[in-house]
Parts: sequence; C-alpha cells; structure tokens
Amino acid sequence: MKNIATMSRRGFIKLAGFTCGYAVLGFNMTREAVASTLEFIGIRQQSVYDADRKVYAIRKSQENPMIKKLYAKDGFLHEGPCGHESHHLLHTHYSDRSAGLKALKAKGVKLAL
Amino acid sequence: MSGCKAKHPAAAPAYLSGLEPPATGQRVEMEGVTYKIAAPRGIDPGTIFFVQVDTEKCMGCGECESHCPTGAIQEMHPDGQRGIVDPVACVNCGQCLANCPYGAIHEEVSYVGEILEKLRDPDTVVVSMPAPAVRYGLGECFGMPTGTYVGGKMHTALRRLGFGLIWDNEWTADVTIMEEGTELLERVKHGNKPLPQFTSCCPGWVKFAETFYPDLNEHLSTCKSPIAMLGPLAKTYGAEQSGIAGKKMYTVSIMPCVAKKFEGLRPEMNASGHRDIDATINTRELAWLIKQAGIDFVNLPEEEPDPALGMSTGAATIFGTSGGVMEAALRLAYEVLSGDTLANPDIKVVRTHEGINTADIPVPNFGTVKVAVVSGLQNAAKLCDEVRAGKSSYHFIEVMTCPGGCVNGGGQPLEPGMLQSSLFRSTIAKINRRYTQRRVG
Repeated sequence: MKNIATMSRRGFIKLAGFTCGYAVLGFNMTREAVASTLEFIGIRQQSVYDADRKVYAIRKSQENPMIKKLYAKDGFLHEGPCGHESHHLLHTHYSDRSAGLKALKAKGVKLAL
Repeated sequence: MSGCKAKHPAAAPAYLSGLEPPATGQRVEMEGVTYKIAAPRGIDPGTIFFVQVDTEKCMGCGECESHCPTGAIQEMHPDGQRGIVDPVACVNCGQCLANCPYGAIHEEVSYVGEILEKLRDPDTVVVSMPAPAVRYGLGECFGMPTGTYVGGKMHTALRRLGFGLIWDNEWTADVTIMEEGTELLERVKHGNKPLPQFTSCCPGWVKFAETFYPDLNEHLSTCKSPIAMLGPLAKTYGAEQSGIAGKKMYTVSIMPCVAKKFEGLRPEMNASGHRDIDATINTRELAWLIKQAGIDFVNLPEEEPDPALGMSTGAATIFGTSGGVMEAALRLAYEVLSGDTLANPDIKVVRTHEGINTADIPVPNFGTVKVAVVSGLQNAAKLCDEVRAGKSSYHFIEVMTCPGGCVNGGGQPLEPGMLQSSLFRSTIAKINRRYTQRRVG
C-alpha cells in the first residue's frame, strides 16, 4: 500500500469508506446467520413446549394410564421400576472404548479433546 | 383402551405396491442429503463410518470442523478437503452434515431398502417407533412452517405406509422417567452408586462418555434410552398385548438422529431374545418414504397411535428438546420426594437454548435438588472434568450432544436457508475452483 501521508484526501476517504462498509456489512451478515440458526432451533423448541401444554392431556409420566397398567400389581413389570424384569429388559451396562482412542493418538492424530 | 388387537394389513399396502426398493449400495438423495443404501447387521458399530465426506463436493471451508465436538473431522487431503479420521473418534452426531454449506457430507447407512421389503412381506409385522423430536421436524419436508407439530399426521402416514403396529417411542420416554427417576432416588437415598447421575438417552453422548471419560461410567444412568427400551418391550410385552409373536415383528426406530443407527447395532441390544431394534432411520428418510408412497401428508387426518405402547404425556414429548428429560424427571422426583402434588408442571428454570444451565430446585420435605442441563459435548466435557476432579455438587446432569437437543439433531430436515445457500455457494465454489485449477494448470 502507498504511504498514507502521500495518499490523496479523496483516496483516503474512499479507502476508509470501503473498510467501514465491509466491516459493518460483514459483521451484520455474520450476526444474521448466527441469529437465524438460533431462531430456527428456538422455534422448534417453543413448538415442543406449546404441544406439552396444549396437545397432551396428561403432563406427568406417572399419571399415564398405560404406565400405571405396566407397573400395576398384575402388570407386566409388577415389581415396579428398577425391579428384576426391568433390569433385564430396560437397563444396560457400558464399555470402555478408550483403547481405540489411545491407539489413534499414538499414531499422531490430534483431536479436539 | 385395553390392549390392542392389531389390524395389520393382510396384503401389501396399496401405496407401496408399485415401489421398487433401492438396491444395496445404491446412492439415494433424501431431503438434500445423500444416503448409501446399506443395512448392516451383526457388525461391531464401532468400526462403521455413519457419515463421511464426499471429497469431490468438499471445498475445504472447515465449517464441519468447527461444529465437531471431538475433532474427528479434519483436513485430510492436500486441497484442504475434510474427512473423518477414524470411527473411533466420531460420535456420529451428524452436526457436520447438518452444517456443511456445500452438502458434501453423506450418510453411509440407510435401512430404507430393507424396510420397503419388510413392508411387502406378509409374514412380517412392521412396528413403528418414532421419537418425540421427529414430529416437530417432519412437517418441514412438506412445506409446513418450522417446528409445526405433526404427531397425529405422522401416525396416519405410518399406518398408510403399511406399518402394522403404530407404537410410539414417547411411551417409553414415560417408562424412562419411571426407571431413571427411581434410579436417581435410589442413588440419593441409599448412595449405592455415585452422584451426579448423568442421563443416558443420547447415543452420541453415551459413546462420547465411553470413549473420552470411561472412568465416569458408574455415573451414567444404567437405564437404556427410550428407543432401547421400546425395542425389547415391543417384542415381549407388546407381543403379549397384541397377540403377535415377537419373532414376527420388525421394529423400526425413527429418529431425529444419526447416532441412533449406532445404538441400534449395539450387540447387547437383544434382551427380548431377538434383535431389539431391527432398523433405524431418521426424519429425512421417513419424509422420503412418505413422498415415495405418494401420500398427501399436509392434508392427512390425525390419528392416535395403537394403545398400550403408544399413549404418552407432555413429559414424554419434551424429551425432544434440551432440558426436557430433566424437566420430565423433576415432575416425578418432586412428587416422590415431597409427597405433595406438583400443581404447575412447568419447571422453566431448566429450559435452555444452548450451553450449560444450572438450577437449584427447592423440594419440600427434602431440601434442594441441584441439577445441570447441557447441550454440545464441548460444554459437557467441562462438567465431566468437574466430576472427574470430585468437584461436582450436582445430583443429576442431562447431556444432549446436539445444541438445543434432539429437535436440532443431525437427522432432522436441514434448515431451508442452509439448503438454498448450499446450492448457491457450491455453484460459486465450483466456478472458483475451476478457475484456480486452470490458472495453476
């Protein structure tokens, strides 16, 4: 770039104008893009809470008649939640998957964590 | 309301009779995303790439990398194109796919071909198991406004597609609250397992915890996710209720998610004596099936799911958003711990947009329940580090991989703006690339 001291007044204003224009425009475009994504997720989230209040007649799991039937004295899970049959069908255990990760890091692969 | 004698169709459903299922290995575009038709079975899911980058379409902008919580997607080619380094590091959340401005990331697993075959098989009863968040995204594929609730239309569409039993994963969200809430109360009262208790509904988060924080496994709730509960319940309790043998059932998990395809393939998911989950698809694939069948989705009447394994509550539907599992669990915990009735079920302090949200919930006759709600795994890692250091004071922590929760899952319809800009930007990028190549060449 030419020395700013030797730059014409007109040239300086033009340059400053462009710089400001790009800065403001760029900032606004980024802000709009971020806002639109947030808004988009927000609308779906709001719709979920609206349905919770307006579409569903019952709002607590323990009041669902089909849940009461499942856990009733003569029901399929008559021992209640976390009973023996529940543990067999509905609970699980977890594995340690870190070995593969260690091998990957040993190969020199960098990860974000 | 007692039981449900299924009225599954004897012949092939009219809508799908003329439809040829796509062949294995074929590539099909569904709602702006390319899928490879592949139905893996009996394979260790830890070795499968569920999403991958098409290097032809990748412009090397790095947008995917900035949305990846683990750093599994990174620069792998000389021109800056990205790729997934190894399935080990990928939690299959699909956020890279949902945020790629060039539509360059595709899915490597799609069961739609097999599902179309099963729908035509008179000896198989196909069971529908849609997740809460699907009904807040599906309508967008048919031009309805963002977030429109289409639960009733979705059930009707599934019935018309030829699904024999319309069961709903929201019902097992209610079961999850009963099981996970009880587990939390046991941890608080008896101290048999360490606190805080982490939720285990999100398959991306579970794989993340197993890979990056295996020392915290004891903190993870032992409860399966709602879908991993509905699979075995359908083939045992559901068989009893409907009079259809579990071995005749083909269970289809319908999810807003890519990582659920990994979860469905976990070898331990066979508690019913069969594979608990036979196929997993996401919202975009369901929309494709409905369009292929020529169903006028927008004008469908609204129908209820089949009872017993279909009826659900507001507590179940909020599983679809970040903070929802927490709020649903608190609606139970409050009543059990205090012995009182919770007059207003809205617990707004735990509702959250993104990041980490913490709250102290005063419960009469008990004290304070300390909770944290987090979405985005980089944020979750901060809470994990606290737990690891023994500095966490929470009772219960809800983690969702996708920012905002399942409604923003990697399997949901893409944002319309993203689809349009993707087309525009990829055209510009192609011109630029050709121009640079010519100049260099």
